[in-house]
Amino acid sequence: SRRERVRAMFYHAYEHYLESAFPYDELRPLTCDGQDTWGSFSLTLIDALDTLLILGNVSEFQRVVNVLQEGVDFDIDVNASVFETNIRVVGGLLSAHLLSRKAGVEVEAGWPCSGPLLRMAEEAARKLLPAFQTPTGMPYGTVNLLHGVNPGETPVTCTAGIGTFIVEFATLSHLTGDPVFEDVARKALKALWKNRSDIGLVGNHIDVITAKWVAQDAGIGAGVDSYFEYLVKGAILLQDKELMSMFLEYNKAIKNYTKFDDWYLWVQMYKGTVSMPVFQSLEAYWPGLQSLIGDVDNAMRTFLNYYTVWKQFGGLPEFYNIPQGYTVDKREGYPLRPELIESAMYLYRATRDPTLLELGRDAVESIEKISKVDCGFATIKDLRDHRLDNRMESFFLAETIKYLYLLFDPDNFIHNDGSDFDVVVTPYGECVLNAGGYIFNTEAHPIDPAALHCCRRRKEEQWEVEDLMREFYSQKKTKKFTLKKAPNHGEGESANDPEDASSEKAGEKRNSKKSSHSLLSCPSQSFNSKLAVLGQVFLDNT
Amino acid sequence: SCSRAKDVTMPAKLPVNFFSTRSPVIDLFRGQLDYADQLRQDSEIVLYFFYAPWCGQSIAAREEIEHVASRLSDQVLFVAVNCWWNQGKCRKQKHFFYFPVIHLYHRSFGPIEYKGPMSAVYIEKFVRRVMTPLLYISSRSKLLDFLSNYEPGVVGFFEFNASPQPPGYLTFFTSALHSLKKDYLGTIRFGVVTDKRVAEEISLVHSGTVYLHRHANTSLIYPKDIMNFTAENICKWALENREMLIRWLRPHGGKSLLLNNELKKGPALLIFIPYNPLAEIHPLLDEITKVALEYHKCNKSQGAEPDLQHVGDSDSPAFDSSVTDAHLKFSETFPIAKYPCCNTVVLPQWHSISRTHNVCELCVNQTLGVKPNKVHVPHCNFLEIEAALDSFYLQEHTFFQVISDTIECSNFLSFYSPFSYYTACCRTVNRHFLSLISSEKTIFQTPKVAFSSHGKKDNTQFSIPHIEDRNCFIPDLNISSTNITGLSCRTNKTLNLYLLDSNLFWIYAERLGASRSTHFKEFAAIVDLKEEVHYVLDQNQSLVGPTL
Repeated sequence: SRRERVRAMFYHAYEHYLESAFPYDELRPLTCDGQDTWGSFSLTLIDALDTLLILGNVSEFQRVVNVLQEGVDFDIDVNASVFETNIRVVGGLLSAHLLSRKAGVEVEAGWPCSGPLLRMAEEAARKLLPAFQTPTGMPYGTVNLLHGVNPGETPVTCTAGIGTFIVEFATLSHLTGDPVFEDVARKALKALWKNRSDIGLVGNHIDVITAKWVAQDAGIGAGVDSYFEYLVKGAILLQDKELMSMFLEYNKAIKNYTKFDDWYLWVQMYKGTVSMPVFQSLEAYWPGLQSLIGDVDNAMRTFLNYYTVWKQFGGLPEFYNIPQGYTVDKREGYPLRPELIESAMYLYRATRDPTLLELGRDAVESIEKISKVDCGFATIKDLRDHRLDNRMESFFLAETIKYLYLLFDPDNFIHNDGSDFDVVVTPYGECVLNAGGYIFNTEAHPIDPAALHCCRRRKEEQWEVEDLMREFYSQKKTKKFTLKKAPNHGEGESANDPEDASSEKAGEKRNSKKSSHSLLSCPSQSFNSKLAVLGQVFLDNT
Repeated sequence: SCSRAKDVTMPAKLPVNFFSTRSPVIDLFRGQLDYADQLRQDSEIVLYFFYAPWCGQSIAAREEIEHVASRLSDQVLFVAVNCWWNQGKCRKQKHFFYFPVIHLYHRSFGPIEYKGPMSAVYIEKFVRRVMTPLLYISSRSKLLDFLSNYEPGVVGFFEFNASPQPPGYLTFFTSALHSLKKDYLGTIRFGVVTDKRVAEEISLVHSGTVYLHRHANTSLIYPKDIMNFTAENICKWALENREMLIRWLRPHGGKSLLLNNELKKGPALLIFIPYNPLAEIHPLLDEITKVALEYHKCNKSQGAEPDLQHVGDSDSPAFDSSVTDAHLKFSETFPIAKYPCCNTVVLPQWHSISRTHNVCELCVNQTLGVKPNKVHVPHCNFLEIEAALDSFYLQEHTFFQVISDTIECSNFLSFYSPFSYYTACCRTVNRHFLSLISSEKTIFQTPKVAFSSHGKKDNTQFSIPHIEDRNCFIPDLNISSTNITGLSCRTNKTLNLYLLDSNLFWIYAERLGASRSTHFKEFAAIVDLKEEVHYVLDQNQSLVGPTL
């Protein structure tokens, strides 16, 4: 089956990494050796760890956890990208920590509020904190893991490099009890929000000292992408209406100024005039994000546009000139990025449209036919002739393979709808875990949102929740209880078993009761969305 | 680390065979387009399959092409060309946005691009159409067959008494090929009559006349004096004037507004049937055609019937178009029988456990008031039905209690006009034989789901009693669905008819409530996009005339 082909692809790459490249960060598939790229963390191994569990390989997961505990050291004199270290290393370690019990790792008594992988994640994150010591609260892009921010370091950081911390840092704060991580992440998000233009857009590079926009191209892709992503995912993870309303404001401006025929272009952030009529490979995450806010119709329409580009080249070029219908000079590569497959995975959960499986099929065929070499899978240097480059980025195993596998594996535990869960006893009381609703960070490391409620001793909160539970059940008995509409996607929301998760559900209800009901829940789908499959789209839904 | 290795790159792998060497398909995997063009001289009909070796759709279509090739290789040359490899001629000369691309040539005519489903039977059917774009109609009965088809037919009359060819014949032949370029589903069929006596059946007297047959409207003769007799013009004329009683919907899989555009025209009856384009006979389709003709027949004495009867009755004198015109005028002056405007309403069901449903037939009666002598406009106004529905829902509680096997009627006055009143006849239908389910936006979706799973259970466990049920059901249905003859003229709200091949598009049926695992992939539903409702014909019913 296709799922088994994806599994075979994973092991072909993974085993060659271990054999030829470990302990370097990445495998070089054409020369069969390794190199350090983003630091010196055995990055591919950290990044691939939770993919092992999603493929069901618990024994290798356990082995790697031991290897990492012994082998990885963050006290090194290395200049590291704050953003990349967060999403790949902190994110990878956090998700592995939260999944380790499911993977059969012997966990210590305080788990999930303590544990070796959590300590490693915290250690890595603390190395990044000096970058946030700026007048604006927006972080530098690069930090030295031993000495902090280098003197003379450029204050110019990309927007995504500022706004892509909340998922990992809030999780860290909730698990460790130290609020510093969530605080710096929120402060950086607010600084970006404050500096948006009058028409509601952000550029893609800003000076973190003066808060002046250095690059004023506004769009949804490179340099900005995961900022928007984390507003939505942060809002869902933390049930935070403020983050969601920020996103919805941006969404309006993006639709107004950058959207043409279901494509998203680049515009000048103050004037809204088109600066680049280009589709970027990185932008292909957008339909998936739209599905998380329930905008499935628009998501499918944009997805179908992007899919035509894949069909033209067998991959997505970094830049695609929309009016010319061709690649852009020097931007013809495809480093086996996951974004379009990621969107297909989300949308397939929402619509079950066979077109999405077809993209999966095309991706498997393309990657195998074009980029498979003896030692792994090589970046496509140029989509026009399919020349290969000597690199296999760690996101290939962390994201591309993971999303492909999840697309073809409808029964994977990641897609759990709450019918299955674990109860764990922690020093703070009983706790429900693994009930589904996982939030993927931007490197596809899943975070269990339920875990965020495990590690705080807050008596009042607990009592309040118990009261609400009682109320919930009495309501259920007397009145016909209108169930919350089932989330139309597997991932974004935690739909838990009513019995054990009612605390969370009641909490959600309480939150949403206060103001507009719709902010954190998905809208009902339009009538014609029933028939919006196999490429059919309908007008005036919005 | 060693920095020199950073610059290591590797050229793309060299192309290899895409088709097996034993395949009847010639595989030019190095993209030799020049050789491909040369090969065209060798065969009357050539099919080119332009592929990219990495493309999933090309790989999936490969088998289908091989299958077609194995059946037609003695008459058609199949040439596959790798149009991706950048050293190959094909890639250098052609610029495709997707793969595979299939081009057909009939001698020098081409390319005709095939854009239909990538399934062997459909491809084979299309290739056969390119091989014989004109059907030779040798006899009266063949003409009758040709014309009674639900798809539009164009007949050319050419007398082959002089050699080499009668004037205009080649143009007509080319127009048939040309139509395959435009109308890639091949909906318009082209036929040629050479026998004068057969031609007379459809009033064709002069050789070189081209005739477009229509069922509901008058048939047309190609106006040679107005338009030049060229292949393009004939094709354009046929496309513009053809009648689409039933349309096939074949979404191509890419982004498309097909359903949007069709469903926005008004309520649509979507009929799903398994379809083999190569089959000689399609009994189910004939049945549906009959229903469609009935539906579009506006007056018993008008429309398709006279034409067809006439064809069957060889003794009658030939009609010329002016006679038909006069005939049409006659029927217009004929007072249209007064039919009440009615609408069937299924009352919303509050108890999903309950197995009954109340169905009401709501009619508008205009008893008083001044009526014009001649009614030109179809007199069932959509707004009236709307108004009636509004008043009806206001009084809904009255009907809601009714649980009865008999039909109970009551009249109530319109709020808007003192001259008309509404009649509502309601009865209770057991959910077993529920023919119509209505899903209204979100609220009713939950009960609907509950019902359909319930229905499934019935199918499997109580299949024997169900047959008995069916007997009772048919008279039930006849009550609510009165004679459909001319229904399209009676109401302002026309129902458009569409066919979908359930082998390819069953997913749409599933979306409308069909079960996933059913042996008979037959299903019918009425979708009204504007009102956001759809009605489903019970899947246990076989798709036959009376139930439709």
